[in-house]
Amino acid sequence: MRLRRLAALAVLALLLLAAGAAAWRSVRPQPETPATVAASLLCPSCQGETVAQSQSPMAAAMRDTIAEQLAAGRTGAQVRQWFVERYGPAVLAEPPPGGLGVVLWVVPGCVAAAALAFAIRARRRRAAPAARVTARTHPGEPRDGGRPAAAHGAGRVTARAHPGELREERFTARARPGGGGRRASRAWDAAAVGVVGLVAAVALASPSHRPQETPARPVADRAATLVTLARSLEDKGRYAEAAQIYRDALRERPDDRTTLRLAFTLLRSQRPAEAEKAVRRVLGNAPDDPNAVLLLGLAQRGQGSPAATATLRRFLTLAPDAPAAAEVRRMLRAD
Amino acid sequence: MTGRRVASTWAKAASRRCPAVEGGEGDRRRRPVRRRLLWSVAAVLVLAGLGAMLAAGVRSTAGQDPTAPEAAAGPATVVRDDPAPPLAGRTLAGDGFDAATLRGRVVLVNVWASWCGPCRQELPALALAERRWGGQGLSVVGIDMRDNPESARGLLAEVGARGLPTIVDPQGTLAVAWGARGVPETFVVDRSGRVRLWVRGAVDAAWLQRWIPPLLADRSAP
Repeated sequence: MRLRRLAALAVLALLLLAAGAAAWRSVRPQPETPATVAASLLCPSCQGETVAQSQSPMAAAMRDTIAEQLAAGRTGAQVRQWFVERYGPAVLAEPPPGGLGVVLWVVPGCVAAAALAFAIRARRRRAAPAARVTARTHPGEPRDGGRPAAAHGAGRVTARAHPGELREERFTARARPGGGGRRASRAWDAAAVGVVGLVAAVALASPSHRPQETPARPVADRAATLVTLARSLEDKGRYAEAAQIYRDALRERPDDRTTLRLAFTLLRSQRPAEAEKAVRRVLGNAPDDPNAVLLLGLAQRGQGSPAATATLRRFLTLAPDAPAAAEVRRMLRAD
Repeated sequence: MTGRRVASTWAKAASRRCPAVEGGEGDRRRRPVRRRLLWSVAAVLVLAGLGAMLAAGVRSTAGQDPTAPEAAAGPATVVRDDPAPPLAGRTLAGDGFDAATLRGRVVLVNVWASWCGPCRQELPALALAERRWGGQGLSVVGIDMRDNPESARGLLAEVGARGLPTIVDPQGTLAVAWGARGVPETFVVDRSGRVRLWVRGAVDAAWLQRWIPPLLADRSAP
């Protein structure tokens, strides 16, 4: 028993020592080097990486900035403040205390306090029967030490000391239903209900952003990837393939600018009728878009339509300074 | 808030304990039931409160996702109103340059680099914008961040934007001083020297057409 208590005390002392050492390590004053300041700032173009960890050019630029400022004699705190002014408080790896973050510190404290309180209560309850035994064996002494706490073991302990009182003690134990064990189980039930409620609350709150995000992003990204691919094919002069990919991109995400690029590649691959169809879709949304009017004029001209001249003139009135205007004027003069 | 609730429950439980010690058998039987109920209610309330806070936190951070919807639609534009940081240095052409001499004009500051893909598409639009609105008071200045000057000059020649004054920023410290988070990024400074727009991602002709003329028209401060 004694050895056990000593061992428990030793473990407790060890834990306290470790906690103290850890606390000291994190709060001890350290000289601020560029590396420590960089580790205390988050890279703004990364996800959860500090400036010290990130390989991005921006993080490298920030490391150079930190080194420059520290070399100029500014303190780490001043450098951090300088970054907060430019990038906002979210640039700090350790946010300043306050706000909702306080919960993170308060909750473990509350839990520890509750656990300690439960432990003390359980100890007192265990101590109570022993006090009763002494009270019964020495009837002259006052009973102030005896607490009326529930204890199943009480009957047996007293019974061994005074066999005659066995029945009375058992009766007492039965007369108080819901002793320590049941009360504890109720507390566990309540805690379990609370945890379920907590998880349910989070689950109810989170779907608001999940479903919106998941389908929208891949579609947008795929369309953007297709447009980039089509542009590079276009740059290489492979217009027919580019047009096909622009069509795929438009199926993913209809977009006027992409439709105009499609019309342009169709013109380049000598398919003016299809180009006109594409341009008319854009003109339905934006009848005065100069680029659309220009492409329509060129498509009509490619098909030998007499309306081409009027359409191209309309382009010139809409955008007389456009880079293509001079070429269009030359074209009209030639006609 | 939760701490106070826990504390008051403790206080109630403690005050209840004392009369029960002296109380009769009947009082003893009722006491644990009521106390148990009190504890359960308190525990559920505390946990529900924590759940609500957590849920609120999840909800509020969900809205702050910087890569959310409009990122795909166009460059993310933020309207601001802060004094512009200094912008001076040596240009790619080798001359000294100080944007302080441009006070009274609208200055579009573009952070770019030749290793950045979207910058290739953006630079022609910027060169065009300077040609189009230069007479009305627009100046375009580039910050060439952490780049090889040879490749940077090559890119400017390739996209036909050789005339774009571009400050060489070999370490990227100038871009950081402007608060850039990546490339390409654009800051638009109004005639009075305040940063009014901040754009992450490549701007294009449509973006310029939408945002530049209003700033050129704003002559409230010379």
